[in-house]
Amino acid sequence: MNSSLKIFIGLEIHIHLKTESKMFCPCSAHYGDEPNTNICPICLGYPGTLPLLNERAIEHGYLVARALGCRLSNRISFARKNYFYPDMPKNYQISQHNHPVGIGGTIEVDFNDLGAKRIRIHNVHLEEDAGKMIHANDATLLDYNRAGYPLLEIVTEPDLSRGEEAELFLRDFQRLVRYLKVSDGNMEEGSMKCDANISINLPGRGLGTKVELKNMNSPRFVRLALGYEIERQSKLFNSGGEIVQETRLWNENRDITLPMRRKETPDDYRYFPEPDMPSFVSNAAFLKRIENQLVELPLAKKRRLQSEYDLKVEQAEFIHNDIAMVTLFEDTVKSGASARNVAAWLSSDVRKLLNRDKRTLADTPLNASRFSSLLTLVDQGRISGKIAKNVLKDIFSEDADPESIVEKKGWFQISDPNELGKIVDQVVSQNPDVIEIISGGDSKQKSWLMGEIMRVSNGKAAPELAKKILDERIG
Amino acid sequence: MEQDEWAVTAELAALKLSEGEKKRLVKQAEQMRKLYLSMSSAVVDNLEPTTHASVVKNRVRKDEVKPFKDVDTLLDASNELDDRFFLIPNVL
Ligand SMILES: [Zn+2]
Repeated sequence: MNSSLKIFIGLEIHIHLKTESKMFCPCSAHYGDEPNTNICPICLGYPGTLPLLNERAIEHGYLVARALGCRLSNRISFARKNYFYPDMPKNYQISQHNHPVGIGGTIEVDFNDLGAKRIRIHNVHLEEDAGKMIHANDATLLDYNRAGYPLLEIVTEPDLSRGEEAELFLRDFQRLVRYLKVSDGNMEEGSMKCDANISINLPGRGLGTKVELKNMNSPRFVRLALGYEIERQSKLFNSGGEIVQETRLWNENRDITLPMRRKETPDDYRYFPEPDMPSFVSNAAFLKRIENQLVELPLAKKRRLQSEYDLKVEQAEFIHNDIAMVTLFEDTVKSGASARNVAAWLSSDVRKLLNRDKRTLADTPLNASRFSSLLTLVDQGRISGKIAKNVLKDIFSEDADPESIVEKKGWFQISDPNELGKIVDQVVSQNPDVIEIISGGDSKQKSWLMGEIMRVSNGKAAPELAKKILDERIG
Repeated sequence: MEQDEWAVTAELAALKLSEGEKKRLVKQAEQMRKLYLSMSSAVVDNLEPTTHASVVKNRVRKDEVKPFKDVDTLLDASNELDDRFFLIPNVL
């Protein structure tokens, strides 16, 4: 690859907005229902019906545009994007053309070793999703449940220059929409989609010939598809070949991109203003409502976790990835636990359990009050750190409070000197040979005896006290 | 409106037109276009463009589900069904 070539990558991201009802009609926007149950004359495009805007979808759109630093439009309007394909029963999609929700934003993204970079946002606009088509042998099956589902499209400027950057941008954007609670942002499940455009050129020559990439169902595939294209186009470019302006599809089985069947006519959507819907004007009260829903954004959160709580980069990275994790972290710290301790537990033991069960934190019975009482039990010496790990497992599996788990299992530490003395005596009397080695000057064997005490007590011996008693017994 | 421009529009609308139809429709479309163009003689200096005649306030609805009661009649109106799917010729 010729490293002196300049690479321009832009993304077009679609997210499904989290609403109860569709964008322009009160049909349910719920997934997984029987085909064609959530339909009505409006989303089927019957003549004489009128679309009516879903207030929450507009709010979500404005909120994302605001978070991306866009100029918010005080008047938005809709347009008809005309195309003939049976996934849209109206023969047009209601979208936004000249007056989108927001234009011209920027967002800073941390590309780890590649440094942080500001990516410009071209625009953010609302539109409706199309229906689902299932192609059988000689027929096509249509399900319009999804037709009219609210979508938000985010178009970036071509400011990215590597597949890795695109992947990290997408992961950060997923966090953003989840923090804002406007979308699940899940590419694997289809609540987020991403197309990419890429062109290469000699430095100082501006953009090259644009190739569009589609059919990438995860941020990782976006990275791989772009990596493949950079390689392919660079080779072509350097050998004097012609890069064709086209749309290519990522083939995840073969790890390559292939040209999409070419259309005979170029896209010509003949956009015109949607005559059935007046413009929406955002007044001060509306904008105030948007402002109130704004939250600390992922990158700022990550940086604050590091600076305010002195967390390691990897810990902050892990915790900020899930807003529920951030909340658990901060609430537990607020209740008095040490931040570094909480972070260590979250990024090791809690993380392991989540991976083991393939769950997200929000689906588990772990909450701040349980977590902080677990840590308090350790701090007060009532259970050992080792036992605490088992308690954590039981919180996950039994949905119970740490105190009652420890009580039920008899896991409280043995810190009664008499009781502990008996265990120490037992271990000492069973190991005369080891005692002899120790009195011969090899004090390393003491830790072996401590291990025995822990073993005999099922890990419940209070270590400090046991050590003190052991020292007394064997001098 | 020119013949070829009309051909593109027909193509976009997925309409197949005969030569006779094309000739006739181009003539009619041209008449309509002229009629609309007559509006451009109106004086609109210092007038803000509007999208609708009287927009007093935003027309929005709360995000609430109100299922359409008669979904099955919508299905019945279709030419062909496969279970609850609308069935059409393959368009891949
Ligand atoms: Zn509907």
